[in-house]
Amino acid sequence: MQDFSMLINGVLALFDQPMSLLFAVLGVTLGVLLGILPGLTATMGVAILLPFTFGMDPVPALLMISGVYFGGIYGGSITAILLNIPGTPAAAATALDGYQLTRQGKAGITLGTATLSSFIGGTISILILIFMAPLLADFALKFSAAENFALAVFGLSIIVSISSHSMLKGLIAGGIGLLIATVGLDPMSGYPRFTGGFNELMSVPFIPIMIGLFAASEAFKSLSETQAARSSASAIGRIIPSWSTFKGLIPTILRSAGLGSFIGSIPGAGADIASFVAYNEAKRFSKNKENFGKGELQGVAAAESASNGCTGGALLPMLTLGIPGDAVTAVMLGALVLQGLQPGPMLFAEHGELVFTVFAGMLFCYLILLAIGLASLRMVVKIIRIPKAILTPTILSLCVVGTYAINNSVFDIAIMLAAGIAGYIMQKRDFPPSPIVLALIMGPMAESNFRRALSLQGGSYDFLYTRPITVVLLSIALLTLSYPIYRKLRSKPKAQAAADAASGQ
Amino acid sequence: MKSRKLVSTLAKAIITSTFILGSIASAASYPSKQIEVIVPYSAGGGTDLVTRAFADAAKQYLPEAMGVVNKTGGGGAVGLSEIVRARADGYHIGMGTVELAMLPHLGMVTFQAEDFVPIARLNAEPSAISVNADSPWQTYDEFIAHAKANPGAIRIGNSGTGAIWHLAAEALADKTGTQFSHIPYDGANPAVTALLGGHIEAVTVSPAEVANHVKNGKVRILTIMSDERIAGFEDIPTLKESGVDLSIMTWRGIVVPKKTPEDIQMVLRDAVKQTANDDGFKSALAKMNLTHAYLDAPEFQKTISRDDVFFKDLMKKLGLGS
Repeated sequence: MQDFSMLINGVLALFDQPMSLLFAVLGVTLGVLLGILPGLTATMGVAILLPFTFGMDPVPALLMISGVYFGGIYGGSITAILLNIPGTPAAAATALDGYQLTRQGKAGITLGTATLSSFIGGTISILILIFMAPLLADFALKFSAAENFALAVFGLSIIVSISSHSMLKGLIAGGIGLLIATVGLDPMSGYPRFTGGFNELMSVPFIPIMIGLFAASEAFKSLSETQAARSSASAIGRIIPSWSTFKGLIPTILRSAGLGSFIGSIPGAGADIASFVAYNEAKRFSKNKENFGKGELQGVAAAESASNGCTGGALLPMLTLGIPGDAVTAVMLGALVLQGLQPGPMLFAEHGELVFTVFAGMLFCYLILLAIGLASLRMVVKIIRIPKAILTPTILSLCVVGTYAINNSVFDIAIMLAAGIAGYIMQKRDFPPSPIVLALIMGPMAESNFRRALSLQGGSYDFLYTRPITVVLLSIALLTLSYPIYRKLRSKPKAQAAADAASGQ
Repeated sequence: MKSRKLVSTLAKAIITSTFILGSIASAASYPSKQIEVIVPYSAGGGTDLVTRAFADAAKQYLPEAMGVVNKTGGGGAVGLSEIVRARADGYHIGMGTVELAMLPHLGMVTFQAEDFVPIARLNAEPSAISVNADSPWQTYDEFIAHAKANPGAIRIGNSGTGAIWHLAAEALADKTGTQFSHIPYDGANPAVTALLGGHIEAVTVSPAEVANHVKNGKVRILTIMSDERIAGFEDIPTLKESGVDLSIMTWRGIVVPKKTPEDIQMVLRDAVKQTANDDGFKSALAKMNLTHAYLDAPEFQKTISRDDVFFKDLMKKLGLGS
């Protein structure tokens, strides 16, 4: 309860500092804008803002950066839902069902749900950070290469659950994604693979491929469609979901917030992985699994709650151990050090007052996010009413500008356009793009950690079955992979086959 | 026929005079517009932070604020190549890093260290051997004795194969006749995390990169691979004091493409020197745990040439080159 009274003191201290509140509002607004634009990410926003915080007091500086972080992760969902353009990799999971709902004329309620889920997920994760930080801190350190490999394999197994239309096509897309993921510097030996001599290909141009697959392909598709096709999508509907609808979402939002906080606290795993994992779990627990991928509000709620749930999780090892959980918190770590604050076990003891003021400010940031989100949605949602003749060229130019902004590279634009054409053909042939994105996120993580685990163990494969966390994660992955097959077999009147699949565990 | 000749003569005259005028203008009034600094690493990383702090301080000594452009990829290869290819007019400069003397010997890039002209070094960070505070080794001698007695048992985390901290560990193994297991991570931070978690025995990243954890009592620095003891870590002996003649550091400094005119270089040297000695720049570096290490152009050139030879030999020995 001591924590609780310190938090109350923090809230009081915060409201004595109008400048801090102002910078929090500024940060969230900026973050949402950055998140909406494809290619511009929270990491980039935080990095660019960092020099501006050199001369600021610690509280407003940290709150502005937190605001950009939270807002950036939330903002990515807006264009994912409205236009099928994930502004950030995490929003690719939101787009799965979000865009389908928009096409059914439910854009308003989908955005409303996404906003509420982001708010609740984020707030819960900050509360977990405040009250459970010391309990969870050491867990982050248990994750070695073997555990990270198992987590990535689990992530890859989710391809099965996001390939709603055709599992075979989903797996093919995932396989292609894994092949693309091998381009670049070999993670262990450092030699270039399949780069064709281009320095630009020494790492997989992940974001350009994602922008191309989702956004550019969507623009190409709408160029080839007739005007009438879009009319059904222009309905907006109500924004805040009714209580009876929302009630059904609460378990999903809470579970996803927990998953997000947990995954966020693992160094090397971030919002992108969390949102896909939460989506997968929402589907596993749902009664109407068939509806996922066709416009299921649960899917949107899960992805959004988890991606914002990551924020508190990623801050946890950063503040308690000085270990950044993702790229954004790595920059925030720099910001803390700049402010003369020493992240680590002593931070809470030595600067308790300041830390709790910042915590209070983070909760305030999420309130602002909710307010900005709900207030602007009526206006934002009108994007889908923009005539195609204006919208499509705008999307295409945003794709080009956003892609260029990542590395200031024209080469990336070419990659983006090529991915766009590939994505267009895939859409025509009914291949889903998300397994490629998932494979690009998880593939390199699985490969490098598998090989790293091997060298850590001197070449022994024992790590696959001697480490508890690894075993658990690999088992869940196996379950995720085999469950749809099991279901398919059981639906046929073949009891024998079902028994085989079950004992195959 | 005659008119054509006249036209071509006129055209030649115009072109030549433009060139002459152009070069005079550039020498006398440089810099008259924004200077762009290319950073070969992503926003938020150490090199980027140095550059942004530098650009921030340089405002006072230049008519217009510098623009910072991140060109990332290939462990610096993309951005460094971009600097070499940039127009040599003084408006395109770069933040050169030690990789410009390393990558050519890995056979991954088309440039050579000689394609860069140094203006001034701003920052340098040595390699250090750090272990978990719970580990049994209190000194470098105990550590290396254990390593020699158990070849391959000591796992040293680095920031990527072929990157500076990997080569530091390889060079140490080579100098002392020891065998380590080298474990590459995606950057210094994940390697330090693995050290904290007890998954590896040591890291060879810079003291600044473990400074936080040293203050928290979680990590112990055994030795630093610098010529002399460094500020902030005065009580930690150098590797040379233990009788191993090895000093390896990463550095960052302003470089320009080879053909940049001499007079423009001189103007830049002045402005960079003033900025480097600016108190604001120094304190910004200090706040970020980065070491201020200014060297003027001739001295910087010596460092680059020395490293160029050193890494060429080392990579040949290790079979990393091509």
